[in-house]
Amino acid sequence: MNRDVRRVVIAGGGTAGWVAAAALAHQLHGLIDIVLVESDEIGTVGVGESTIPPIRAFHRIIQIDEQHFMRSSSATFKLGISFEGWRNGSDRYIHAFGILGKSPWACQFHHFWLDGLRRGIRSKIGDYCLEFKAALENKFATSPQSKINYAYHLEAAVYAKFLRKFSERFGVKRVEGKIKNVEQHAESGFIEALVLESGERIDGDFFIDCTGFRGLLIEQTLRTGYEDWAHWLICDRAVALQTELVGPAVPYTRSIAHEAGWRWRIPLQHRMGNGLVYCSRYMSDDQAIDKLLGAVEGAAIKEPRVIRFKPGHRRRVWNKNVVALGLASGFIEPLESTSIHLVITGVSRLIRLFPFGGVTQPLIDHYNKEARNEIEKIRDFIILHYHVTERDDSEFWREYRNMKVPDTLACRIDAFRERAHVWRDSNELFGEDSWIQVMVGQGIEPKRYHHLPRVMSDHDLRRLLADIKHAIAREVEQMPKHHEFVNRYCGTGHASADVSRQSVPPAI
Amino acid sequence: MKPQSVKKVVIAGGGTAGWITAAALSQQLGPLLEITLIESEQIGTVGVGEATFPTVLSFHRLLGLDEREFLRVTRGSIKLGISFENWARRGDRYIHSFGVIGRSTWLGDFHHFWLAAKQSGFAGELGDCCFELQAAQAHKFFTSEKSKINYAYHFDAALYARYLRARSEAKGVKHVEGKIVRVIQHPDTGFIQSLVLESGQRIDGDFFIDCTGFRAVLIEQTLKAGYEEWSRWLRNDRAIALQTDYPLDDIPPYTRAIAHQSGWQWKIPLQHRQGTGHVYSTAYTTDEEARRVLMDNLEGDIRVELQLLKFRPGRRRSAWVKNCVAVGLSSGFIEPLESTSIHLIQSGVARLLRMFPFCGYSEALVREYNKESQIEYERIRDFIILHYKATERDDTPYWRDCRDMDVPDTLASRLDLFRETGLIFPDPKDLFRVESWLQVLTGQRVQPTAYHHMPHMLSSEELRTMLETLSTNIRAAVAKMPTHKEFLHQYCSVEQGDTVAQ
Repeated sequence: MNRDVRRVVIAGGGTAGWVAAAALAHQLHGLIDIVLVESDEIGTVGVGESTIPPIRAFHRIIQIDEQHFMRSSSATFKLGISFEGWRNGSDRYIHAFGILGKSPWACQFHHFWLDGLRRGIRSKIGDYCLEFKAALENKFATSPQSKINYAYHLEAAVYAKFLRKFSERFGVKRVEGKIKNVEQHAESGFIEALVLESGERIDGDFFIDCTGFRGLLIEQTLRTGYEDWAHWLICDRAVALQTELVGPAVPYTRSIAHEAGWRWRIPLQHRMGNGLVYCSRYMSDDQAIDKLLGAVEGAAIKEPRVIRFKPGHRRRVWNKNVVALGLASGFIEPLESTSIHLVITGVSRLIRLFPFGGVTQPLIDHYNKEARNEIEKIRDFIILHYHVTERDDSEFWREYRNMKVPDTLACRIDAFRERAHVWRDSNELFGEDSWIQVMVGQGIEPKRYHHLPRVMSDHDLRRLLADIKHAIAREVEQMPKHHEFVNRYCGTGHASADVSRQSVPPAI
Repeated sequence: MKPQSVKKVVIAGGGTAGWITAAALSQQLGPLLEITLIESEQIGTVGVGEATFPTVLSFHRLLGLDEREFLRVTRGSIKLGISFENWARRGDRYIHSFGVIGRSTWLGDFHHFWLAAKQSGFAGELGDCCFELQAAQAHKFFTSEKSKINYAYHFDAALYARYLRARSEAKGVKHVEGKIVRVIQHPDTGFIQSLVLESGQRIDGDFFIDCTGFRAVLIEQTLKAGYEEWSRWLRNDRAIALQTDYPLDDIPPYTRAIAHQSGWQWKIPLQHRQGTGHVYSTAYTTDEEARRVLMDNLEGDIRVELQLLKFRPGRRRSAWVKNCVAVGLSSGFIEPLESTSIHLIQSGVARLLRMFPFCGYSEALVREYNKESQIEYERIRDFIILHYKATERDDTPYWRDCRDMDVPDTLASRLDLFRETGLIFPDPKDLFRVESWLQVLTGQRVQPTAYHHMPHMLSSEELRTMLETLSTNIRAAVAKMPTHKEFLHQYCSVEQGDTVAQ
């Protein structure tokens, strides 16, 4: 039962399966054999198209060349997310990937900004963030010396294929087929093999469940259990649609709030990914489809598909000799583009904790503890966007406003509201500047803040703020337009878009 | 935005805690606050906290201290780590140094390479791959802008307090001599309003910092914060301390922690003398016996004899209550086995600076401060307990009880994980990093039964070469360094300086 782990079987392809395969194959090459089982019959969800900066570190570790990857996945750059209408219906803010201003040790930069406001120096927090300003101007450039922080928009299905080619070069064996049966050890319950419809039997020492919402191994076989978060995350449906790109691709994702959820726009090199996330209690599937079709620009490429989901998390993501990654581990709506990230961190964690000599309980416990900690913090960050709103134009928003949120989130909101105090917990994904941008953007005005800036004279503070602002503005000015940079750097050579028919987001 | 309502800050108590607080507050927030420190010469300070942890260097940068001047004034020396003697077995010795071991990769920590080599029979000592450990063992030291070595200090706590007092007063801190006899609270809220001294003098304040030591006059006697005891894990409850002449020709750049039958003894080298003390448990031995053990293990003549100290290991349930924060011994006590007392003071003060309540009380802020303080204390506690739990000694009831005791779950799960997999995952905010856990676990003879297999990607030859190259380079670098004594003489000895703070 508890034997050396040599043969790893990944059940399911898609982004989760192939990210896992690529990482394991590259890092543990020669130490394990990897087989991935996927069925062309079962579609993958394939709407996870926006990412966050840690993906770049991941690509560096497994030595993926950026230009090659972007060309193959029709990718564009992403400097952040533009949240429109979340605060009061007609507002807009950007949660950008950069650092805000310059922070001395004793007191973070935003306190200086707040003191500036008090003294009549009007500015937006985003003025002090390079990525924010570049996004606003649709500019982008990167180089080996550049410090700009960014991620990508990519087409998930194409990215998966890219990683499949990569993994197969490192020896991953792909088996086409649909899983019919799962064989378990009679006493321990450990999984021994997967039996396909064709009758082929795939045996393994360790299994990774990337079978999506079904959780074929972790749930249908091992009955691990699911913790439901529907009382905190009330959206439970999404309808996705890809359209022809109209206008140049902007370097950010757009998230536009509506009366029962929100809508995304993710620009790729040659097309636009669109989606509508909603709560089925407040909007029917037909209404959602109509709403989405009415809002998109450009011709639809495929039929819109409705996806149902249950926000929540598997009670344990590592159970016996199975680790669940991707949708099999749980689901949080893509409001902050965390889905692919969680697969990357999940497989990285597994590699560091790899059970070479056999599965032992301390490994499982440590893995599950880290995974749980990670997901709860992300969950809180998402709930924040909904709960802290001034909107009351529908039952949906009123329900969110009146919601009793997790204590872990409530105390953060209190601390910021009272004292502009913000922090990052250990191993937490979202840093202080992320919390600040969203809380300020959603309308929290701190009652008080750190007084250290008061030791500066008006003149000095004005100078400090102006210097940062101007340095950023100068740097942005030098940058080329995003779509021009993309064409030069990693363009796939598709027809460029018609500039005149572009929808313009509300002015900030 | 509300105007600043907290302006008058009163620090109750001097000593290291009081003057570190005064120096930091006046340096960082001076123009915004009026700071008064009350201390009484009648009440002695504990003054044995003489070894530190590398975080002291960044704290000193915050205070704007010049290293050479500080070392000269406090007769300080360099600390590269702690030498633990007789802990896992009598006769054992290992060093917990401040260095990193080898070079770790993203995939996993370096020690897995060493464990793999050990299994193949050619590893050598773990410490061969650690620069600071090798330097410590050779009694060498050197630092400069270009040279990267991780270190801390030993210093005379009383001289340190005096030094910080001079700097604080220069920055406007008002010093009041006197003994606190009464604390006046607001009748409704219970917030502290003023302190009344024996002389009748009354000191008003908006915010109070309790540095009154074990007595915890404000946080406990007045505000009744409560204390969580840890005696079931940490048995020691007394200490006697001495200072002797420094008898040897050579000054080791490390603290020594020598385990005895019912406790342990520290030896801390300063430029002009040696500090030593015996920490022990009255449940297993008597004061007389403990004193005899100390006297039997001295070098040099006794210069100063300090009083007997009684303590209860544990932590104040809330470090911050209403308008009072406890810093130093008033916030809790963990024996100085890993020199954490001054770190806890500095960390608490740094936290207070970042969360300073300019506009008055904030529930959310206080909760966050207390939570961070609790986590910090508990993690350090666990690391200390490890030294006792992971023993093979059974020569006295004291050691048998240590070996057999239950430990907190947070420590038990780390021990289990290491034993079964060789993996160590401290939290990023932990004071003690992977290399600290590793050196102590290995030194205490805790053997993992497995390890990460990434080293198998190298051939036996490649692995051997990697380890040998690393240890050869380290040895060569250490050989070039001057001795610790030479370094001190050249860098910061009393003869060097133009002025000596008295």
